[in-house]
Amino acid sequence: MIEGAQGFVAALGALATPMNLFHVAWATLLGIFVGSLPGLTATMGVALLTTLTYTLDRDVAILVLICMYVGAIYGGSRSAILLNIPGTPASAATSLDGFPLAQRGQAGYAMALATAGSALGTIVGIVLLVLIAPPLASVALNFGSFEFFWLAVFGIVISGQLTGNTSPLKGYIAGILGLMVAMIGSEGIHAHVRFNLGIDDLNGGIALIPAMVGAFGFAEVLTVMYRRKAGLVADSSLKDRGFPRLRDLWRFKFTIGRSGVIGTLVGIIPGVGEDIGAWASYAAAKRSSRTPEDYGKGSTEGLTAAETGNSAVVPGSLIPALTLAVPGSAPAAVLIAALFIHGVRPGPMIMIEQPTFLYSIAAMLFLATIGIAVFGLSLTKLFILVLRIPREYLMPLVFTLCVIGPYALTQRHFEIWVMVLFGLLGFVLRQMKYPMAPLVLGIILGTLLDKSLRRGLTLSDGDLTPFFTRPISAGFVAVIVLTILAGTPPVRRAMGRLVAPLRRSREQEGR
Amino acid sequence: MRFESATSDRITAAVFFALGAAMAWGGYTMDRLEIRQIHPASIPGLVPMILGAALMLCAALLFVGAREDEPEGEGSWEHFLVAAGWSIAYALGMVGQMPFALATAIYLAGFVGWFLWRDVRPERPVVTAAGVVVFSVVTAIAISALFRYGFLVRLP
Repeated sequence: MIEGAQGFVAALGALATPMNLFHVAWATLLGIFVGSLPGLTATMGVALLTTLTYTLDRDVAILVLICMYVGAIYGGSRSAILLNIPGTPASAATSLDGFPLAQRGQAGYAMALATAGSALGTIVGIVLLVLIAPPLASVALNFGSFEFFWLAVFGIVISGQLTGNTSPLKGYIAGILGLMVAMIGSEGIHAHVRFNLGIDDLNGGIALIPAMVGAFGFAEVLTVMYRRKAGLVADSSLKDRGFPRLRDLWRFKFTIGRSGVIGTLVGIIPGVGEDIGAWASYAAAKRSSRTPEDYGKGSTEGLTAAETGNSAVVPGSLIPALTLAVPGSAPAAVLIAALFIHGVRPGPMIMIEQPTFLYSIAAMLFLATIGIAVFGLSLTKLFILVLRIPREYLMPLVFTLCVIGPYALTQRHFEIWVMVLFGLLGFVLRQMKYPMAPLVLGIILGTLLDKSLRRGLTLSDGDLTPFFTRPISAGFVAVIVLTILAGTPPVRRAMGRLVAPLRRSREQEGR
Repeated sequence: MRFESATSDRITAAVFFALGAAMAWGGYTMDRLEIRQIHPASIPGLVPMILGAALMLCAALLFVGAREDEPEGEGSWEHFLVAAGWSIAYALGMVGQMPFALATAIYLAGFVGWFLWRDVRPERPVVTAAGVVVFSVVTAIAISALFRYGFLVRLP
């Protein structure tokens, strides 16, 4: 613990140069803008910025990307409160109480609470990142091919299960499609080229960044233009208090702590992400609240829980990303790609190869947190101006960046084709309620799954037994089976019947 | 046809089933590299076969379980087609064929202009048109300069 604190302080000292602080300032501000504009997501922001920062120094580039990530997740709360439209999916729970507060003339205070909640949630996540990541990396050192195979399967299954909006099936399909994309190009064991369809450019496979810029950038542009125009609500309710009361924050100390821990734990689960973190924190806060009836009608506690929860997912999602190379969320998946571009190899060896890097990441998150706190509390009016930018002007600008970004990486027009195709595919899948997170996770985990299965089978001479009998593998198998079973309609109905009497008796006790 | 209807789910289920079958078949017929004497369990087509089968299974379940969802607000197909068509024309047709700043200025002017006239119908069209042209030219030059000289990125 002391070692962690020392590592963190040393990393913070090394990072806190005037030039780096300048990068923190612009990247966080840009992140808040991206997050606050409906249609622009954190994943898109991080993916676009990855392509534009690859000429920067490693630490500066990662710092900029982390500031974008933290800023965008926080920025989503602005439009959730002022427009009742979450700027990013992560802020959907925020709008439930944020918008009613704005309608009551407390938009300024709602944004101040959201700022405090986000900052505190990220700090809880940072503490857990420093505490959990090193031992997790040590455990992961014991993973062999068999365990890594099941880890990849677990990632796809749990991500598909938890992000599939109406049915887990669509989540699983999205995950399998992502894995299929990863099968294209030269495979990692025998260097045999698969499914290149006679196109030489496909020999190297489909790179994650152009695919993500398409699926999250171009697809968002199309979605925003396809939807009906959203009206900006009146912003006359911004004359109230713009700073959170310490009394309120102290009153919500347990809510903040609990939401921070829940958000971080949700972040650790592969490919689940900030929106689930916010909803889980919101639901837990409502269950233990003294005033659950206020939730959804402008509860400051509910707003704080949602914002703390979604922001805590950011450090949480980096725990598996750094120690297992398995992203906890879609933006974290892009960050993994960025780490590879900049010569950092995330995975169990990270604490051995680059023992201080983890603390650098924690320090970067901390600097980004200071950034959102300062900008969030001081630049309220500016963000409202940003929300007024008409979509006709903004969306073609975003698309221009979507064209520059993928091309910048390899200077090949082929990457622009990939971006366009993934944009169209992403638009259709999104309209049909297929979640995007398992697709991203599939592209990232495809190689790991493929290599681990074939390497494991080679080690065991074709015998499947070790995949089920090694202790960690057996644990993964049990969790995967339970997860799939929990998503089947008969089990869901049975669970509903079991929970219903409990819920009724609790309601009677409540009366 | 709506995106979130049972019919569209059944159509995509059929497409996914065909895709899964194609991948499974592609994996099955893939070179097993016997000439290199690799372990038979590490053939390159193994995982594609499994994934193809898994997608076929999921597609079959999707087809059987397809049901009508609550319809959400329908969007504008016209907007979608114009935005997609013009953006694709820019990305795959104009970029690379002419200077990037020029292509971007034409794209921005076309996009902003069409949607402004279609949705907003400005009261002073000449002034608005001039504004759109100035916005497009200035933005295109600014973006090109920022990325070329600021981010040191080579533009297409």
